[in-house]
Amino acid sequence: MTMFMQVFVSGLVIGCVYGLIALGYSLIYKASGMMSFVQGDLLTVGAFLGYTFYGLWKIPVAISFVMVFILMVLLGFGIERGIINRLVKKKTLPIYIVLATIAVSYILQNGAMYIWGSNMLTFPRLFSANSIKIFGVGVQPEALFCIVVSLIAMVILHIFMKYTKYGTAMRAASMDPMAARSCGINVSVSTGLTWGIAAAMASLAGMLIGPVYGVFTTLGATIGRKGFSSAVMGGYGNMYGAIVGGIILGLMETFTSGYISSAYKDLFAYIILLLFLFVKPTGIFNERAIME
Amino acid sequence: MNKLLEKKNPAKHIKSFGFLALLLLLPVIFTAVDFTYGITISCFVAIYVIAVSGIDIVFGYCGQISMGHAAFYAVGAYGSALLSSKLNIPIIISMFIAPVIAAILGALLAYPASKLVFHFLSLATIAFGEITYQLILQSPGGITGNAVGLATKKVNLFGFAFNTSFRFYYLALAFVLLLLAAKTNLVSSRVGRAFVAIRENTHAAEGMGVNARKYKVIAFATSAFFTAVAGSMYAHFVGYISPDTFTNKQSVLFITMLLFGGTASKPGPIIGAIAVLLLNEALRSMENMQMLVYGFLLLIVILLLPGGIFGMIKDLFYKYTHRGGKENAKS
Repeated sequence: MTMFMQVFVSGLVIGCVYGLIALGYSLIYKASGMMSFVQGDLLTVGAFLGYTFYGLWKIPVAISFVMVFILMVLLGFGIERGIINRLVKKKTLPIYIVLATIAVSYILQNGAMYIWGSNMLTFPRLFSANSIKIFGVGVQPEALFCIVVSLIAMVILHIFMKYTKYGTAMRAASMDPMAARSCGINVSVSTGLTWGIAAAMASLAGMLIGPVYGVFTTLGATIGRKGFSSAVMGGYGNMYGAIVGGIILGLMETFTSGYISSAYKDLFAYIILLLFLFVKPTGIFNERAIME
Repeated sequence: MNKLLEKKNPAKHIKSFGFLALLLLLPVIFTAVDFTYGITISCFVAIYVIAVSGIDIVFGYCGQISMGHAAFYAVGAYGSALLSSKLNIPIIISMFIAPVIAAILGALLAYPASKLVFHFLSLATIAFGEITYQLILQSPGGITGNAVGLATKKVNLFGFAFNTSFRFYYLALAFVLLLLAAKTNLVSSRVGRAFVAIRENTHAAEGMGVNARKYKVIAFATSAFFTAVAGSMYAHFVGYISPDTFTNKQSVLFITMLLFGGTASKPGPIIGAIAVLLLNEALRSMENMQMLVYGFLLLIVILLLPGGIFGMIKDLFYKYTHRGGKENAKS
């Protein structure tokens, strides 16, 4: 029971992180039909910024988080405005846009290495307690915090997209840009904002996983690539699918490495990705955006 | 057809002979000016030219992205190394068998993947690349030497060992000329025209009776073959292979070279391979900045030079030759 509980919690932790990353992919895909390879490295940058504000400058947790969010929204917005939108306007082939996002991810990852160095940094503890008892099993409070906060973030995002004026405008802009424009919605700002929100979510994932895994420059690269697996599993472009896919992938990965063998743990996500792409590209939630 | 046309143009013939003579004399010149490192770089250029030409077939001509070509590079390298060491097959033959295996793998990947649009095709190829990388890193029975890697033997042809850069250069040059000729013939054939038709508009191509899936599979298989040949050359040139060489960074490097040089052209992969390798050498002194500079350059090329270096040269040449005409038209 003890082991089961521990494996279950760590599966949920990484699953929520995959979910947050996949959510960003789905948002961007819905809003602009683009695929972004930046999410993983935005996670890294977010974790490093959180480390700097909270760990080095000793700013209170809540304020550090908000500061990171603001910076990341600006960064995401800037990437869309400065690079992606420019390429879209020039009518370049979509594949060049994918490559541009890869170039940006290289810049972020290696820029982070240049600024913060290539050693693994320890994200300071968020709570003073060492462990919390759940069903008699000790669990790291940061792990619980990660799960709870990411679930809350997903609910807030859902409410934002569904019930606020801005969220409705963003959904409209992604559904039919022309019609949205004629209704007075500023489509280009709303697309930029989507990238900003996706970046903020990636940074949230980074700050939540930082205390559990440590902060290093390649932290996000692997998570980002595996996040694609959960996004495709849930149905690319479907927000609920992204979360469900993320949690399923996280649980499957930790359970296989916990109970069967850890040797092929990293293989798992990619085999799932290939299988879903070939056999059921619309994913669990049957999202029809993916086929030609 | 090509050969017939070339015969009518003796000037072109002389030019290509001169070029060939220069290529043949290159190692001698490098030795004469006491810059033997130049020969090693030339060997790497040759290897990359072949690998990048492979990607050019599938991406430049057929318009299908592959972000997992490091996997085929790995199949070529490990396949040839293992076939020659475990089964005692002569290296020159194993260097042919391994690419054939890679081509079969490429076809097997392309058959189900041909239904996917570019975004999801890139995901599928990334997944394929990662799976291959993980299987090399933690191979069943440790056959690939896992993280430690494998030591490989040098090519030995009828008792003549290609064990120095100087000697390997000529073998590599022969491979490059052979494969580039094959590529040129392929893309100017019926198959090549089908590739371009699929790139420009898949639906229209299918409407004209082009079997898109079949040609996508052919493009992937040929491309995998080329890249695997480069991989096997790499293995037997360097003498040691390890999983680090076959990460997804390698796949992106191939694509970067292609974009740098210019897609869907004969000189594109050559210019791209030379430019990026020289850049790598220039950045060698600041190793931790290398990938950062590299990211910026990739971005600049995509934003400002969509046709690559070759495209830019072509544009400049066009502007230069048509300048007079335009001014006349204005007045």
